[in-house]
Amino acid sequence: MSTPNNIRLRIFMTGVGGQGTLTATTLLARAALAAGLPVTSGEIHGMAQRGGVVESTLLIGCKSPKIGHGEADILLGFEPLETLRALPYLKPGGLVLSSTESLPPLSVATGKETAPGVEEIRAKILARCASACFLPCRTLGLEAGAVQSGNIALLGALCALGVLPFGREVVEETIRATMKPKVAEINLKALNLGAACPA
Amino acid sequence: MAHPLLAGAPGSTHLFLGNEAIVRGAIEAGIQFVSCYPGTPSSEVPDTFFRLSPEGSYTFEYSVNEKVALEVAGGATLAGALSMATMKHVGVNVAADPLLTLTYVGSPGGFMLLSADDPGCHSSQNEQDNRIYARIAGMPCLEPSTAQEAKDMTRAALTMSRALGAPVLLRTTTRVNHLRGPVVLSEPTVLPKPAGFQKNPSKFVPIPAFARPMHLRLMEMLEKAREIAETSPFNTVSGSGTVGVIASGISRAYLSDALAEADIAAAMVKVLDLGFSHPLPEKLIAKFMEGLTTLLVIEELEPVLETEIRALAQRLGLSLTILGKTPGPLPRNGEYDVAMVAGALRQALGLPEPEKLACACGTDPVVALPNRPPNLCAGCPHRATYFAVRKIFGDSAVYSSDIGCYTLGILPPLKAADFLLCMGSSVSAGCGVSKASGQTVVGFIGDSTFFHSGITGLVNAVFNRHDILLVILDNRTTAMTGHQPNPGVDKTTLGDNPSMVDIEPLVRGIGIDQIRKVNPLNQKATLKAIEELKALSGVRVLIAEEPCPLFARRAYGVKRTQVAYVAADCAQAAADGSCGDCLNTLACPAFHLEDGKMAIDPILCAGCMLCLQVCKNIKARKGDAK
Repeated sequence: MSTPNNIRLRIFMTGVGGQGTLTATTLLARAALAAGLPVTSGEIHGMAQRGGVVESTLLIGCKSPKIGHGEADILLGFEPLETLRALPYLKPGGLVLSSTESLPPLSVATGKETAPGVEEIRAKILARCASACFLPCRTLGLEAGAVQSGNIALLGALCALGVLPFGREVVEETIRATMKPKVAEINLKALNLGAACPA
Repeated sequence: MAHPLLAGAPGSTHLFLGNEAIVRGAIEAGIQFVSCYPGTPSSEVPDTFFRLSPEGSYTFEYSVNEKVALEVAGGATLAGALSMATMKHVGVNVAADPLLTLTYVGSPGGFMLLSADDPGCHSSQNEQDNRIYARIAGMPCLEPSTAQEAKDMTRAALTMSRALGAPVLLRTTTRVNHLRGPVVLSEPTVLPKPAGFQKNPSKFVPIPAFARPMHLRLMEMLEKAREIAETSPFNTVSGSGTVGVIASGISRAYLSDALAEADIAAAMVKVLDLGFSHPLPEKLIAKFMEGLTTLLVIEELEPVLETEIRALAQRLGLSLTILGKTPGPLPRNGEYDVAMVAGALRQALGLPEPEKLACACGTDPVVALPNRPPNLCAGCPHRATYFAVRKIFGDSAVYSSDIGCYTLGILPPLKAADFLLCMGSSVSAGCGVSKASGQTVVGFIGDSTFFHSGITGLVNAVFNRHDILLVILDNRTTAMTGHQPNPGVDKTTLGDNPSMVDIEPLVRGIGIDQIRKVNPLNQKATLKAIEELKALSGVRVLIAEEPCPLFARRAYGVKRTQVAYVAADCAQAAADGSCGDCLNTLACPAFHLEDGKMAIDPILCAGCMLCLQVCKNIKARKGDAK
């Protein structure tokens, strides 16, 4: 890893309102700050909280809190359809981590529109991205003790891939330092379950 | 343990949301009085003040609307308290009347207005540029671009306001309010207790004879502020060359990243970061423009600085080329980003546009995917009200909507929002439609919006004998912006509200007796009440009261005891299209088709049991507490 002064890393995160996308973003940003990195994160909420798309960003070594198309080094998708939708943000050669468990938009849930299935999404992503990692976040969250901790499982997988300029132990320390003990325990478990996923 | 916003050690670094950094800046300045009306993207500022208020050494209130918030804080500063009022950009329109005279009267204790603008309309009905208010009201204006600056500029704005005895504007945009970044803390100031109001009518009562000299004093103050801007640490020059850039607000962050792009980094660019942007530091800018052949002005929304700088250049007889948005290359609407700013920079520098930045999709774009618009939550009582109103009125009524979660009723299948102007307009604009056309109008307004500015419209409706059915969607909180209290609530996240204003007697008190009050989750009673009110004419009010389930969980400790499920025979019926009415008319996020059959997600179901009243094939079973 290069020194903190010249690292530039852009992570684009996307999910559905209520999934904890922003909690994951803030946790990762706190960990980056704890690692002494110049971090900025951004989020768009408001109307989006009511079951709409929630997008957030985490940038190291940049001043802008926004990520444009083709700029993200890493795309974290907490919902597969949203991962696919956000793919234009990923730069060529970028890394994708995505949950495989879908929360269909209302129009799809009620049969008015169709969305590509998880296998189709996976194939579309793999056709475009050299490195991609898929995991069942909701299931892992439930296994850890709370469905909301599924997003932390995705962070666990991200840590395990060794692409962050800090290690999993920094994220673990941040979880312990910022969450209540009972919640922290669940999230640490989710982090470990996610970390075991990348083959 | 005390919160770092209150008790963080000077010199320590914390990751703060832009809005939290504003709170810390105010605490460091010695803030004594805070009022607000919540609204995205400003809401975390008052919410943080509210949460910390039991430990803080300031007075805080959620006012009923922005005009009231500004007036209350205006009074507080007249009494000598260091004060601030926070609101979103459109809220400043509501507060504009007192604001444009407070700048005449002055703010002896110090006063900062936070205007959180929303370029790109992320959560607003327009994208007006409130830096223009700084010009028409006569306020110094600071525009942060990072969390650290949000903290530092808040502190500086409040301190300067107190020194000048004049209101100061802190103008943010959504990206600044909702970014997170490291903030290094400084030592908070401890101010003496407010001195109290000092009588001096010629100074504080703007009757015409006194208002004229007040206006002169305001202009003199602005010249003093201009001198401060000339040497402000928030206005910095860097780089060199004959091409210059002046940027303000979040555009400065995009500029900073654009300047790091290889081809631009290799070119010569002179940069003026303008953090303290009004009054324009003319001497600083005149000096900056010396020797420039081209100047690019980068600011989101209106060409405010660009126009002022063009006027200055004309006055100085300079012949440099000024680029911005009149006519281009930058747009006058929406947000900017790094690529857009880099493009404008390349144009100013005469650099070729590099090959379009490819994305991982390559040339094969992601095919059109189904959209995911926001939706009313599972268990939302508004869905129940809309369902009942639509059942009785269908498309025969014009649905006059208002601002809140319930605006989401616009979406099919509920389709319960036909037009909207602003906070409180459901009542008054609805009256206008019915009076002008004779059409049946049903207005929808939330409890907080009703207190904000619905009451005046309702009084007007009574006085002018309008014909409207107003549905007050009372979910016992201000839900959309994050569950803030309003005068009608009995509970807040900090405990009971001992001084609740009850909507029903209030409505009765203005002379309306055609009132029904129901729990919308009781469909039978709700349908009956709507039928009765439909048969009447004149001003009619339906109060649909049921707490927002998200708030009920937090504030009342309500636990889900039951969940809905689809009985097997119904699941069979849905497959052949003979059923599925609930799926098509309720649009509950917990509903979905599973192998072509209607199903209810037991995790998403909130247990409101509305669907049980719509279809006999949906049953309840014991659910895990959620």
